[in-house]
Amino acid sequence: MSRNDVADVLRRLTVAFTEFDGRLEATPLIRKLTRGRFTLEDYRAFLINLRQQVKDGALWMSRAASNVDEQHLELRSILMRHAVTEHRDFRLLESDYVATGGALADILAGEKNIGSEALSAWMFHQASQRNPLGLLGAMWIIEGLGSIKAAEWGRLVQQRLVLDADAVRFLLYHGDNDSNHIAEFEKMLGLVLPDAEVAARIVKSARVTARLYALQIEEIVL
Amino acid sequence: MASLSEAFITGVGAFLPGPAIPNEAMEDYLGRIHGRDSLLGRRALRWNGVETRHYAMRSGAAPDHSNAGMCARAVEAALDNATVERSELRFLAAATTQGDLLVPGHAASVHAELGIGPLEIASFQSVCGSSLMAAKSAWLSVRTGEHRVTAACAGEFASRWFQPSFYEGTALVDAKGRLRAEADFLRFTLSDGAGAVIMEPVPRPSGLSLKVAFIDLVSLAHLYDPCMWAGALMEGRADLKTSWSFAGPGAAHASGAIALLQDFELLKRIIRAWVGVYLAKVEAGRIRPADVDHVLCHYSGKSIREELVSLLEKTDGMIPEEKWFSNLRTVGNVGSASIWIMLEEFLRSGRLKASERILCVVPESGRASIGFMMLEAVE
Repeated sequence: MSRNDVADVLRRLTVAFTEFDGRLEATPLIRKLTRGRFTLEDYRAFLINLRQQVKDGALWMSRAASNVDEQHLELRSILMRHAVTEHRDFRLLESDYVATGGALADILAGEKNIGSEALSAWMFHQASQRNPLGLLGAMWIIEGLGSIKAAEWGRLVQQRLVLDADAVRFLLYHGDNDSNHIAEFEKMLGLVLPDAEVAARIVKSARVTARLYALQIEEIVL
Repeated sequence: MASLSEAFITGVGAFLPGPAIPNEAMEDYLGRIHGRDSLLGRRALRWNGVETRHYAMRSGAAPDHSNAGMCARAVEAALDNATVERSELRFLAAATTQGDLLVPGHAASVHAELGIGPLEIASFQSVCGSSLMAAKSAWLSVRTGEHRVTAACAGEFASRWFQPSFYEGTALVDAKGRLRAEADFLRFTLSDGAGAVIMEPVPRPSGLSLKVAFIDLVSLAHLYDPCMWAGALMEGRADLKTSWSFAGPGAAHASGAIALLQDFELLKRIIRAWVGVYLAKVEAGRIRPADVDHVLCHYSGKSIREELVSLLEKTDGMIPEEKWFSNLRTVGNVGSASIWIMLEEFLRSGRLKASERILCVVPESGRASIGFMMLEAVE
């Protein structure tokens, strides 16, 4: 049984996401959050670490769009639209940080952690390929994180630290924003499948992205 | 290595104590915390969809049965159903969430209540999934030729742990006398009963037997904290060095560490993990949805099913709903015993035909595990 239609790839991607979900659950930072030991310092470290990589998101999407040929114009449009929607997201992280009482200069001066470096390098590497269709897998992981995990984390953070909503906008906003995530994704997959080689690239890209994203979270240790 | 023999379920038995109790009468059996009706009960019932269930005691009165006693009755019913003499039984695997005694294991109590033997026994203590742990033990015993006639049983006497004395005077009840949702929800979800199966290396002489094709158990406890537990407080429950026994029974009770609790937020995440494990089995070809004729899934949540169904449909993992059989609505959620109580009623319903396949699914929120058992009807 080796079909490579949309449902087949969506299944493999769902398995990759649920494994990612479980791996995140066991990272030191998220353990603190779910076990009620999360502090304001943890949250600030979380925002500083995320911001450095989120800033790159629209950049690799734009680069990927520029490498999509005219056979896949619809996909190019989607990438460009996503890039526009998301290219100021890191500003939200900064204002959340400031709303917690942090100094803007501190989050601006933050560096990518080891996982963020690996993740960004991997994303730009893929985006630089001709017709980087595997990136759909990476987007599945990152957007799944936004639509499923971000809101969960946001609610927990808000509850544990008793913060105003304006200090958790990045996490809560993503939860609201991406509710049609699966239906939209099905449509995108339909543009490039069935194709065994593309299917394999998409799934591989999802798995690598998930591993590197989890590494980024693992590296946030106070 | 010598080849393994097949193993067949040749008999199924169930025991449900007393009459079916409707929603309105539940608290006559469970009791009322500080004499007041629960505010949460109705919401819990809407969520789990249970309409009637059975209890082995009525609040304030002596129990009608023990957990082990109900298990023994189910094993006897299963032996009768298999038309096997009781004296032929050689191996008994018994499962439960909380047995009658803290020590020794549940199987010893069930064996004593059965009053036959000597037997080889094995005890399995977990939550719903303990049923399949016991079944796997019986299955492997038959397959390896250790024993010819084996039984796997599971029983719950949940209502005893839901009586007011488990909560009153503890930190689980607030100043207004309201019980924490993490505790009260389970009171309106779980109930009492037992079920059992007999496994042998040959099918029964007449009628349908169920060849056990596989039993797969997957635990994700290395990733998730306890989701349904007793013996620790909500906070800090993952640190086993702070469990109830270090504080001593009096202090543990007062702190609220003795009662059965459920973390709903974590449950949502664990449901996703279950779906992932299932789809990985589909991806690996272990489960082929198109080849499954009947699904018996021990899951009590009614309201979350829609989004799951949609995800399973999109990923070619869905087994059409007309193939699902469940009696949770009428017999209640009996924890580990549910899968056998469901199988027993399913077989009586006459739906099953020779060569059809039944997929039994037993998710356990305890600490994120899930079990699958594939059965094939043979004549």
